[in-house]
Amino acid sequence: MNVFRSSNIARSNTIARWSTAAKKVLILLALIAAALISVYPIVMMMINSFKSDREMYINPAGLPIEWTLESYGKVFQYHGGLWLNIVNSIIISLISTIMAVFLSALAAYAFAKYHFRGRDTLFALLLATFMIPPEIIIPGQYIFFARLHLINTLHVQILPTITPILGLFFIRQYMALIPNDLLEAARVDGAGHFTVFTKIMVPVCSPVLGAYAILHFMSVWNAYTWPVLVAVKREVQPAMVVLPQMVDPVVGFLPVWGTIMAGATLATLPILIVFLSMQDKFMSSVTVGSVKG
Amino acid sequence: MVKSESLSCPVSNLTAQSNLRKRRNGPSLVPYLFIFPFVLFFIILFVGPAFYSLYLSFFRYAGYGESVWVGLDNYRAVLQYNIFWIALKNIFFYWMAHAIPMMALAFGLAVLVNSKLARYRNVFKPLIYMPQIIATVAAALIFQNFFGTQYGILNRILGAEIPWLSDMDLARWVIVIFLIWRGLGYWFVIFLAGLTSINPEIMEAATVDGATAWRRMVYVTIPLMRNSFLFAFVVDGVVTLRLFAEPNILVGKAGALASVQVAPVLNLVIEYIRSARFGMAAATGWILFLVIAIISWLQFRLFRQEEG
Repeated sequence: MNVFRSSNIARSNTIARWSTAAKKVLILLALIAAALISVYPIVMMMINSFKSDREMYINPAGLPIEWTLESYGKVFQYHGGLWLNIVNSIIISLISTIMAVFLSALAAYAFAKYHFRGRDTLFALLLATFMIPPEIIIPGQYIFFARLHLINTLHVQILPTITPILGLFFIRQYMALIPNDLLEAARVDGAGHFTVFTKIMVPVCSPVLGAYAILHFMSVWNAYTWPVLVAVKREVQPAMVVLPQMVDPVVGFLPVWGTIMAGATLATLPILIVFLSMQDKFMSSVTVGSVKG
Repeated sequence: MVKSESLSCPVSNLTAQSNLRKRRNGPSLVPYLFIFPFVLFFIILFVGPAFYSLYLSFFRYAGYGESVWVGLDNYRAVLQYNIFWIALKNIFFYWMAHAIPMMALAFGLAVLVNSKLARYRNVFKPLIYMPQIIATVAAALIFQNFFGTQYGILNRILGAEIPWLSDMDLARWVIVIFLIWRGLGYWFVIFLAGLTSINPEIMEAATVDGATAWRRMVYVTIPLMRNSFLFAFVVDGVVTLRLFAEPNILVGKAGALASVQVAPVLNLVIEYIRSARFGMAAATGWILFLVIAIISWLQFRLFRQEEG
């Protein structure tokens, strides 16, 4: 550095500053482009939900010529009401989430904080089944539920989702980090095993329970393959199965785009709001256990 | 699996006793009680059907009446069925065609956001991640609307009538674009976490040694991230091989399955079940599982080689 004369340094500094500024602008432009491409379809969904089905055939690309809530109205009338299917989705996802989090947390607690025979083998076996994609066992599952006369019910959509290995794993990893002293202190005070679980473990682990509950809720809410197979009757179908089937009641094959976009917006909005209000938790839950690959 | 069930069964009767005993000997049956509900439901709802699927794959069974042992005939029939091979080719195409550009884009964006020169990081991160939040079905419907021939957004903007989704050679690329759009944010967040976990001392050392930003990227960051890339590629592959909703909703009309030319393997499983050929459905599923297992095993081998 000493070799340079001061004027040279000054000039190279200006160049450096200038090129840094240029880089800043370029990076900003690239990120704006990426963000626009990511968000544009979602924004279009929302904009198009304020057009009528008729306007969607004439003007799919622009802003609504006439802003209207007609499509939202149709969501509530369409063939007895898409809103019934949204209610189905809510019931299925909610019950599934409560059961899945409860069952996983119970089991995770034992795997994380107790020593018992066969613990590590059993845990490894359970994790190994994660290798088997759930879709592979669909034929066996289908006959199992058919024998129980549960095809075309809400049960058949809830039950296969209540023992998530991923949830068990997430929650166990978190619980293993909770200091034992905390639990011992409660036990010394005379608390039973279940009380220690409900009064200490659950509150302390509420961040991971909440994060997993959101993940689980989303995956059940968004499920398609299994529901499309086992829910054929309109009154038990979740919203995700009905949305793609919504066609013009008169012409038959033409999708009613306004109504579909209104339904899609309604089915997306709750999750979008939760996401925007707690995005950090959302995005960090993605990276749990996957970075150290 | 069966063992743990027989272990857990007597547990419920012994609760009171064990609670008394535990005060002296430490917990004995208590942990089994905690895992019992999960394990029981898991055996009934997953392990049982899984073994039953395996069993079914060796039988001809229509869902009622007698099942007939056919040995490996179902597997043979699937492997000789040209539609299975088309479907297998399709899912490998979807994997290769979308994973490579998507990973490159995701990594590039992660590098940009991670750069010291980037501003408004906390605005861009959630925006780029947002497509992940939208339900697959809703997102696929938006794309179906966007790429529609007569009433589509894109054709309206272009003033053309390009059959994006009715010409299957174009439709497969629309599916690829959809997969990239939807998956980008996920891997962007993963890679960003990977980048921020790189020890800054390594970077400083490289800078002190006179490495330019570009050289630091090529000789330090990318080699350090190699395992993450490989891992991401395989995980993404396993998900893509199980593809179902995306191609069917984009290309299939009004909830129907997509045409064979762009159909994934799971379509065969669903079609066999709908036509009550459970043995064939199960065999198709297990063949798909074998493909996935081989890919995962190859990845594992690659990791091993690098460490050893």
